[in-house]
Amino acid sequence: MAKGTVFDIQQMTLADGPGVRTTVFLKGCPLRCQWCHNPEGLSPRPQLMVSPNGCAACGACRRVCPSPERCVACGACVKVCPANLRKICGVEYTPEELAELLLADREYLTALGGGVTFSGGEPTLQSEFLLETLALLKPMHRAVETCGYCPEETFLKVIEAVDYVIMDIKHTDSAVHRRYTGVDNAPILSNLELLKKSGKPFRIRVPLIPGVNDSRENLETTARLVAGAPMLEKVELLSYHQTAGAKYSMVGMTYQPEFDVSLPPEQWPECFREKGICCDVL
Amino acid sequence: MTDYISKLKERFIIDKAHHQYRHKPSDPFDLARELSAQEAGDIERSVRRLAWVLKRERPAVYPDEKIVLLRTEPTIPEIYTPEEKEALARQYYIHEQGKVCNVTADYEKLLLVGFEEMTRRLQERRQTLEPNQQDQRRQLLAMEQTLELLTDLAERYRQEALRVGNLSAAARLEWVPAKAPRTFLEALQMLRLIHYGLWASGQYHNTLGRFDQYMYPFLQRDLANGLSEEEALEQLEEFFLCCNKDSDLYPGMQQGDNGQSLVLGGRDERGENQYNLLSSLCLTACRELQLIDPKINLRVHGGTPLSVYEEGTRLTKMGLGFPQYVNDDVVIPCLKGWGYEEKDAVNYSVAACWELIVPGAGMDIPNLDALAFPQMVLEALDDFEAAEDFETGLQAVRKAIFRRAEEMTAGRKPVYMEPAPLLSLMMEGCLEEGRDISLGGRYNNYGFHGTGLATAVDSLAAIEQYVFREKRFTISQLRRMLRDNFEGEEELAHLLRYDGPKLGNDDERADRLAVLLLDWFADSLEGRRNERGGIYRPGTGSAMYYLWHGREMGATPDGRRAGEPLPCNYSPSLFVRTRGPISVVKSFTRPHLDRVANGGPLTIELHNSVFRTPDSIGKVALFVRSFFQLGGHQMQINSVHRETLLAAKAHPEQYKNLIVRVWGWSGYFVELDEAYQDHIIQRAEMTF
Repeated sequence: MAKGTVFDIQQMTLADGPGVRTTVFLKGCPLRCQWCHNPEGLSPRPQLMVSPNGCAACGACRRVCPSPERCVACGACVKVCPANLRKICGVEYTPEELAELLLADREYLTALGGGVTFSGGEPTLQSEFLLETLALLKPMHRAVETCGYCPEETFLKVIEAVDYVIMDIKHTDSAVHRRYTGVDNAPILSNLELLKKSGKPFRIRVPLIPGVNDSRENLETTARLVAGAPMLEKVELLSYHQTAGAKYSMVGMTYQPEFDVSLPPEQWPECFREKGICCDVL
Repeated sequence: MTDYISKLKERFIIDKAHHQYRHKPSDPFDLARELSAQEAGDIERSVRRLAWVLKRERPAVYPDEKIVLLRTEPTIPEIYTPEEKEALARQYYIHEQGKVCNVTADYEKLLLVGFEEMTRRLQERRQTLEPNQQDQRRQLLAMEQTLELLTDLAERYRQEALRVGNLSAAARLEWVPAKAPRTFLEALQMLRLIHYGLWASGQYHNTLGRFDQYMYPFLQRDLANGLSEEEALEQLEEFFLCCNKDSDLYPGMQQGDNGQSLVLGGRDERGENQYNLLSSLCLTACRELQLIDPKINLRVHGGTPLSVYEEGTRLTKMGLGFPQYVNDDVVIPCLKGWGYEEKDAVNYSVAACWELIVPGAGMDIPNLDALAFPQMVLEALDDFEAAEDFETGLQAVRKAIFRRAEEMTAGRKPVYMEPAPLLSLMMEGCLEEGRDISLGGRYNNYGFHGTGLATAVDSLAAIEQYVFREKRFTISQLRRMLRDNFEGEEELAHLLRYDGPKLGNDDERADRLAVLLLDWFADSLEGRRNERGGIYRPGTGSAMYYLWHGREMGATPDGRRAGEPLPCNYSPSLFVRTRGPISVVKSFTRPHLDRVANGGPLTIELHNSVFRTPDSIGKVALFVRSFFQLGGHQMQINSVHRETLLAAKAHPEQYKNLIVRVWGWSGYFVELDEAYQDHIIQRAEMTF
């Protein structure tokens, strides 16, 4: 039985699929998008996350630390912080444990037209755990939010196991994609073709990053890639926001994007709308 | 919003230009000394107070306004000297200021007949009295004089309107209040006068009741005669603006705590939905005006369509903190269980905050006192120490609740309130019996708040978990920790505060205790009668007690430190980060709320960006409805605004549950870097 690592479970997510949903964030991602706003989801391993606000510098955390040279995410400091500013980000679950937790809200979520969405990180990175959990959640509406970067076989199994797919297309040019996300987009684009043919209802998301992928040309190409797919519900353009870097310091990382964060991204919903594709700008 | 309304908003709200007409405040006891020297009776004193205020009023009319009347006299004088008040307090229980407050008048009683006809009825009734019915005669005369005084003020306003060339306002005042209004606008003008008259009579927390029901017939008539909805909306918005003209002069605990609440929707005895076009216009008016008054309560029930919740949610989005929702399907059975007749129960309205009262029939005092649940837990610690198991100790909490119920109800001095002749005209039976409403109405029930439920529940759950189940420490060790305010026990304090079972997490270990505590609160008051023959109603509200009780209270077993505030009303503890809104709704609908519906809402805070698309508005509406479908009684959703965010920045430990939508993601506000917090605060300034 595969165990999975989850870095957050959020209730009442309104933008992650139909109805009112609970979103499970699985830890670990094969991509390194420079605009990533969930840096705690990148590493597959549990790690310490520290919120700076409200810290009285009492020193309790330092006094109990057994490994001051290098954090081993033991959690000793978490238990002594009087303001509860520390947590171990990344909790291990068995599929049964996670499913039990989620099934407790089955009736509620179903009544509100929703269900469960698996996001990340990249949920397909823990595909064995994901598939086992999805199988246990059969009575609920299940969705996955994926970057599409995974082996074909995994991708097919996952989309087969869900009712709804949300997939990112970050850039259509492989060189630019590699530069800003660290990986080639070839597997993503070929998985997109599988998704289009799968018969699953899906939604495409494009994070609009200023100067990276917000050109009319890139969005035109994106629109051509998805145009005519019968099960495509809509395309969502998510404008980059300056708050994207908010959590980096909390996991001991530095936010260093190579694009100009102060520029407002261009928005070209008409690229999609002209092709008869519903497009929301969020 | 039309240009005309924008102009009025600019004048009365932004510039407060009308404040120039206000006089200097007077000594509030001047009149009382005069009345005392003359040994005047209390009914006479009440009439003379109104006469004193109205005599000082200097009508001020703007040439363009359609609904006139401004308060120019800031002082509402006392009718008793301080010495007389002390003497009264020795003999009687004086609630708050000793004035009738926090009830809902049946405005139709005057709106449907006009002052002339009402005066005629009063005179007629006076003539049928027996010679020995002096009290009744005095009372009826006082009511009559009150109408005379207000009629005179209206006439002076008419003349002033003529003087400044506002002919249409003058024409309306030629008809109302003497005769029953013919149009919506006349009805609004008359309601404005009556409402003003209540404040000028010393009444406060003057609620507006089921406005969309008693005003609708006037609107319907106009619409049938060709008034457009846009015109109606403009008239309504002007009336709502009027509610904000003098509100800074109204008494209350805080600015804005003035009780100008208004109730919309609901069902009737047959279960028919009573939400109408006027209800909808009221929501639109609030959305456009964005003012603190009137405060909207929306009655919902199983037959309320989702579109009504969506309209409500669009108003919530404005960040005003209303509508507050109330569930007919819980409240009506609860009121009936307490002895309210069916026709009254279905006609309930909301008092100043969230207390449920019956217009025209209820002289209830729903905020007589409060029971602090965490105190009940602290008082049971001795018994927990001696107890072999948790359940035995728990019985001591029940005993403490019953003890406190006895303390709050036994040996009460009778209530005394100053007479309220104008209000009496709009309360059932007062005219017929020649009786003042201060002496009691058809319902004379008293209510108690129950504060800090979550703190108490979390404390008990921690005792069960760590003392009895895991045996991590004993009760005497716990008591030492509480006494020392957790000094030197950081790790255990953290465990209790953050890791224990908490109410709001959909956790049976905590939720079952909430069910018990509220049941016991209801049990403890059952069968008790007050000196007016009424019952005692338990509730889930806190009013300001969540600060007062919190300040006085030592540390509690849930890890709350001494002096920390309790959660407001019916909500999770302030420092508990619950799993989310769904868990909160599930936990908080578990108790038997149909036994404790004195009033007190669950409050949920959502960031205003949650409301940004029509799609998400629809989903929030579904969420709101779910609370009521699961049996919730009252709920208030906040679209969080700048002030809250600033407070959260200064006291992050009290705002752990504050969710902010940052980009395509949600996060906890308190976890963000300062720069991002400031950014969101800035953005909140732009959000309306």
